[in-house]
Amino acid sequence: MNVQALFMALVFGIHIVAVNIGIALATVIPFLKRRAAKTGDKALEEAARGLFKIYAVTYALAGVMGTAFTVFLASFYPEFVGIAGNITMIPFGISIVSILFHFFAIVSYWYGWGRFTEGLHNMVGWLLTITAYTIPLGFRAVFAFLNTPAGLILEPKPSLNVVDALLNPTFLPLYLKSIAGALTFGFLFIAGVLAWKGLRQELSQVEKGLYMDSIKIALMGLIAMMFLGPWYALALVNVPVKFNNIFAGLGAVLNAPTFSSYAWLFIIKMILVLIQAVVLLYLLAPIKGTDVLFSQEGYKATIIGAVAAGLTVLTGEYLNAFSQYPFFVANAPLIADKLPEPYKTILTRALNLENVSPLAQDPSLYLVTVIGVTILLAAAGYLLYVVFFKANNH
Amino acid sequence: MNLLEQYLSYPAAPERILSIIGIELHWFLLQYTLGLPFAILVLLILYKKTGNQNWLKLARTATKALGINFALGAASGTLSEFGLVVVWPNVLEAAGRYIYYPLYLEIFAFLIEIVFIYLLVFGWNKLSTNAKIIVAFLAMFGAWFSAAMIVSVNSYMVAPTGIVSAYNPQTGWTYSQGYPKVLLVVPSDLVGALDVAKLQSLGMEVVGQMGNGVAVYMPSKIVARLAYEAWSMKTVGDSVLALVVKPEALPAVKGLLVKDVVDKILVETVRTVGYTTVTFQSPVYLGSILHTIGAALTVTGFTFAGAFALLVLLTKKKTAYYMDGLKFGVYFSLVAIVLQGAVFGHIMGMEIARFNPEKLAAMEGTSNQILSIPRTFGIEGLMKLIIYGTPNGQLPGYDQIPVDYCSLMGVPNIPDCRPPLILHYLYYVKTGLSILLALLSIVVAILIWRKKELGNIWLWSLAASPAVAQLVSFLGWGVREMGRKPWTIYGVMTVDVARTANPVDPLTYTVVGLLFIAVLALQVYAAWRLLFVPSLRGEEE
Repeated sequence: MNVQALFMALVFGIHIVAVNIGIALATVIPFLKRRAAKTGDKALEEAARGLFKIYAVTYALAGVMGTAFTVFLASFYPEFVGIAGNITMIPFGISIVSILFHFFAIVSYWYGWGRFTEGLHNMVGWLLTITAYTIPLGFRAVFAFLNTPAGLILEPKPSLNVVDALLNPTFLPLYLKSIAGALTFGFLFIAGVLAWKGLRQELSQVEKGLYMDSIKIALMGLIAMMFLGPWYALALVNVPVKFNNIFAGLGAVLNAPTFSSYAWLFIIKMILVLIQAVVLLYLLAPIKGTDVLFSQEGYKATIIGAVAAGLTVLTGEYLNAFSQYPFFVANAPLIADKLPEPYKTILTRALNLENVSPLAQDPSLYLVTVIGVTILLAAAGYLLYVVFFKANNH
Repeated sequence: MNLLEQYLSYPAAPERILSIIGIELHWFLLQYTLGLPFAILVLLILYKKTGNQNWLKLARTATKALGINFALGAASGTLSEFGLVVVWPNVLEAAGRYIYYPLYLEIFAFLIEIVFIYLLVFGWNKLSTNAKIIVAFLAMFGAWFSAAMIVSVNSYMVAPTGIVSAYNPQTGWTYSQGYPKVLLVVPSDLVGALDVAKLQSLGMEVVGQMGNGVAVYMPSKIVARLAYEAWSMKTVGDSVLALVVKPEALPAVKGLLVKDVVDKILVETVRTVGYTTVTFQSPVYLGSILHTIGAALTVTGFTFAGAFALLVLLTKKKTAYYMDGLKFGVYFSLVAIVLQGAVFGHIMGMEIARFNPEKLAAMEGTSNQILSIPRTFGIEGLMKLIIYGTPNGQLPGYDQIPVDYCSLMGVPNIPDCRPPLILHYLYYVKTGLSILLALLSIVVAILIWRKKELGNIWLWSLAASPAVAQLVSFLGWGVREMGRKPWTIYGVMTVDVARTANPVDPLTYTVVGLLFIAVLALQVYAAWRLLFVPSLRGEEE
């Protein structure tokens, strides 16, 4: 795999982990705030406010890394961006408008806390939650298109039949699986943050309630994944090259070429899922009448579960992406020969991840990238330290 | 002449209008992203020097404003970026392939901004004064670094490196000699296939060997046609290139995509000029970046002055805090607007005169088809003096610009290649309002300096000044962008080539545009509720 793809994988990996946490937080924070307002529970409101700080930071991180990904893509693979931009206005448009509202909801929700009326603040909270789900809707439609280009029209000009694109057999399972995965990881992350605190001090009643609920929701998400994961895997029969690149090593092969073997990554992902399942069962199933949930062992197990969930999201995303390398569209090798000229020539090179733009192949560029990213990640670490751990001067 | 009709007659009108809304929304917000960190830095240094708590309080309020503004600015920036991807994908593809480097570096600038702006916002109570000063400086560095990168790309679009315009103030227009022309480096392996004599008859000038090819000045009308053919996926055999390829070489190359031929030339050109510096060598870069920063500082200064003038008016109190805030805003805006008008604006104007003469002709309204403001007021000599340093210089005549100078044999199909004449009025409204703002800041600064009472007329004028300053800045960017039409990259790519092959219906564009405007309105409302209302109540802000 070339260095350009690895840069993109790095920033995309950070982006996707942060986004997954964000989906869960954007769901739970307005819910907790509403419940706190109904019951007058100040401690619950404070807990929600504390989570919002984490959300703001994860969202900022997701935004920056998402931007970095787009710029890397345009710099390394400009022709692909040109083609994609020409045909994907509607799916991208859904995400663009959602991002617009989501950003506004984040700012308004934070600064309007205690200033807006309850009704207005709740409305902004709903906007925050809903747009957290509509942003990935558009992007996952594009990802499904990158599996197999359903809806692509070449004559009289390259364009997209949006209905056909949304009926892409891989779209719905991919989207639902992503959401379930995000909720599983996100709630385990929340539980993990509380467990981290629990290892150092006694949790309040509100925090204990939130901790337990998060673990239960994570378990539900994991159960949902048991159905949605196989659904997506089955949908991949429409993307036989990708299917083979993942499953051929495990003995399942479709009638299509196999370019690489990512069965090992799939196995790692399954082990990580298993770890989560074991942790959640350990926490929620009483063993010999003892309640491990709020014990030191329980907290440690929760943190392990949260880390495993984060790595599951990461490996799942990398599995989905790498298993079609070096093609931007997984089914490209199957359809390239059937395309008329000049599309055949243009798409064959534009959809190839090894065909890097000639002006972006300077080794000094990569050195600049590595140094820049390292320094700035260190600066971001300092920001996190100051915001979450450093004591006030006053 | 119907000026609006002329402006709408260029291709891609709905896309252009949507982009004006989206980019101007971003522009509105980034005035503060660029201006506030500098103001905060100055305030913190003032606090450090004098110990006056009001400067610290003011810096804190400005930091809160910066936090809100940056979040929405980042959102609108993200939207502009995606807008480029889906509305103008072909220009983004060209930018990504040939001038990506500043965009690439801008990622790091964005990271610097986000880390240090939010360190200042969330870490305010956890940082010492010295640490705050350092963080404010780094936040400013990130924001200005980001602007320096983006403006370099925009400058390249206004006047690409190697452009030679079609105007000489002594001799007039030079379209008959094939100008404007663009410097290109044609790779040696391509040179052999081209009929140089034919190209020279079309206006091409050979400069000589450069890098791994031959440098030439290529007429823009040929470049524009090749750009059109490249993004229309034409082959050499179906292209104007077939006319300038040697007959014996044609069979071998006629199946090649024009895009590939153009790509070879542009890659070689950028490689020869330097891929890391090509946009910074744009002849309008210096003026553009100075003028951008100057605009941001001016708007920020008047926003301080206006906010505190309004507080004085609405509370009917002249507390030390309010008066310090007012004083800071007035002095800040005075320095900013003088620099902006007398230095930065002048540099920008001279660059435009030299490298975008068609735009200058439209800005100065040198057409008999409209009521020209300089002609009406008899200040044409003054304008020549300002622009050329001599009243004897000759302003470019708009009516003498050929309507087809951007196309070759009708391709691309642009009915009128001249920039829109509406520019004249936009430019003069902008200039007139700038002069009024400058006079206001001078008069109020003198009154404050002489410790005179500020009457309500001055306070209300100051209260209106942020909106006027934003309007001036809005019009300034509008003149810059609209004045480039029908080009997207001046002398290289026309707007019809840049836009998506699959535009959506105007209704969808309208809805998206209205959403952008709604967000801008909400931003103003949020600033009012969260920053201004607490101050009215006498709270900390």
